Amino acid sequence: MKKILLGLAVCQAMAGIAVAQDIKIGAAFPLSGANAEYGEIFASGANLAVEHVNTDKMLKGKLVLVYEDSQGLPTAGVVAVNKLINVEKTPYVLSAFTGVSKAIAPLGTRNQVVMVNGGGVGPDLATLSPYFWNVIPLANFEVKAMAPYLVKEKGLKRIAMIYVDDPLGDAALQEMKTELKANGGELVGAFSIPVAAQQFSGVAARVRDTKPDAVYIATYGNQQVQLVKQLRDNGVSQPLASYSAFSTPSMLKLPEGEGTIFTSQQINVNNPDPRTKRMVADYRAKFGKDPNMYAINYYNAVLTFADLAAALQKEGKPLTGANLLEMRKKTPSFDFVGAKVSFADDGTVKAPIQINEITGGASKVIKSAQ
Amino acid sequence: MLYLQLLVNGIQTGALYALIAAGFSLIFGMTRIFHAAHGATFTIAGFVFYEFYAVLEWGLIPSVLACAAAAALFGVLLNRWVYVVIQRHEGSFFTVFAASFGAAIVVQNLIAIFFGKGMVTVSTPLSRSIELMPGLYIAPMAFIAVITAIICFALLHYLFTHTNMGVALRALGENPVLVDVFGLNPKSLGKYAFLIGSVLVVPAAILTAATSGLNPAMGHHVMMISIAATIVGGVGSLRGAAMAGLLFGLAENLSLAFFDPQWSEAVTFVILFLFIIFRPGGFYGRAIVS
Repeated sequence: MKKILLGLAVCQAMAGIAVAQDIKIGAAFPLSGANAEYGEIFASGANLAVEHVNTDKMLKGKLVLVYEDSQGLPTAGVVAVNKLINVEKTPYVLSAFTGVSKAIAPLGTRNQVVMVNGGGVGPDLATLSPYFWNVIPLANFEVKAMAPYLVKEKGLKRIAMIYVDDPLGDAALQEMKTELKANGGELVGAFSIPVAAQQFSGVAARVRDTKPDAVYIATYGNQQVQLVKQLRDNGVSQPLASYSAFSTPSMLKLPEGEGTIFTSQQINVNNPDPRTKRMVADYRAKFGKDPNMYAINYYNAVLTFADLAAALQKEGKPLTGANLLEMRKKTPSFDFVGAKVSFADDGTVKAPIQINEITGGASKVIKSAQ
Repeated sequence: MLYLQLLVNGIQTGALYALIAAGFSLIFGMTRIFHAAHGATFTIAGFVFYEFYAVLEWGLIPSVLACAAAAALFGVLLNRWVYVVIQRHEGSFFTVFAASFGAAIVVQNLIAIFFGKGMVTVSTPLSRSIELMPGLYIAPMAFIAVITAIICFALLHYLFTHTNMGVALRALGENPVLVDVFGLNPKSLGKYAFLIGSVLVVPAAILTAATSGLNPAMGHHVMMISIAATIVGGVGSLRGAAMAGLLFGLAENLSLAFFDPQWSEAVTFVILFLFIIFRPGGFYGRAIVS
């Protein structure tokens, strides 16, 4: 009996050692609900990065990514991040969606936990907190690229805009108003839609009534697919334009989405640096397709943590949010997939913006970044 | 012309909402079971139709039959193996509701596993609008939706007024104890209520697949419309559910002429609140606050 108890105690102690060696980071992604498709894409890149970090033994300990479901909603996001911070004790949390990010940023600041966004693009995400970083260029840069393209290059001056009634939509509307004015265009109508709306035939009638040259859409998830289908079905034949959220598989596959143009950050998947080559090759082998920018962003977000954590471990410092922030400020540049980048003082990275067109179920670059 | 366009859109949306609400209203009215998984029945029906029609290309009739079979099977089996079992152990109304809600979440996740988490649509030229006169666009699907709704409600009216089964179901909704006294089996009648109510989602699910697309999480929206229409129409009144669905569709679309689109859903709930306050029995039903 004593031997058994002794054995159990040894096993317990060993398990304790194994758990202590795990380095946990968190991810509050939409894993269910209308935006779950994004969560799948985000996780594909983040999981691959974790695999690479552990294979390379970049850290003293096994890196573990703990997921919580934000549903893409601020309330559920706060619950998810509270659990990641208070129960899982993660010093670094991956975030997504503008509304969710704005809701959880105070938790990061209060608890000195770094939050890294690779999916939300609301411009005010740049000013949330020193603990809130963005590895994706924000919507103001995307609108800045699209507005002159529509007005000056395509001669589409009368723009109607449909935007989701949340922080992302509101921010995109303000940017579009400014950019159209600056480029000689005109916003002929702006129609906000509730986050959960699914019927848009009436909105299509209102849009048609404004007789626009093009329609700019600022929403995301399943709603954007439903919106594009119903606009086309209900007689809106003008060119449709949007931002990087249009790069989801559902949108690319939608027959009614053919010809839609959208902006996205430029990432050169053919970059010869070893990190890019490895990520792209392994992603292709695993998923049978090229990684899109969201998968790459979250891969970069995890690798950023690994680079910072490895540097902290080398200096013998604990992996806390404050130390990660301090180390980031000391690090002049990071090897991201596609480019070497630096963080600005406000915690954002900048990337050139390209314009794409949906054609034949895929996206094609029609204007490279300047 | 904008008003006429919004009126036409409202009728199409209203027909769809009426079809969506009818099944839930029937089940809740006849059995008093708050079938929160009715939205899941709708989602299953839509995705089965998509799989058979758009992916396997079985053609329209076999796909509709497969879709109806899947919806009926889910509704009847959920009643038999979940609700009846809970009621046998004298589970409360809320126990049944919790079980139903749980079933809906399980279905949502299973559909996401099998079909993916994104949107799928059934492409058909029938959903493409044609400009009938300057500024007025109508899709053939609008006529199909309205005609389908009329046929479905005419069939239901016949069933509930001219058949013994229909009369027995109405009696079940009125007084299940008395039904038992008369020698009929309330549980067996409940089974038929679930069968008919579940099959009723089929036209709406197919129309939704073709007009706005399907996603695994769509059941919540379906339930929201169903509950609101059941309350406004009056519990136990199919005619009321149909009228409430039509009212919501018209209000949602016609409000666009006066307000921003972001308020269109709020209009639905304003109607709901007004009914709860001033006419809690709805159009035709009994008061729900008693």
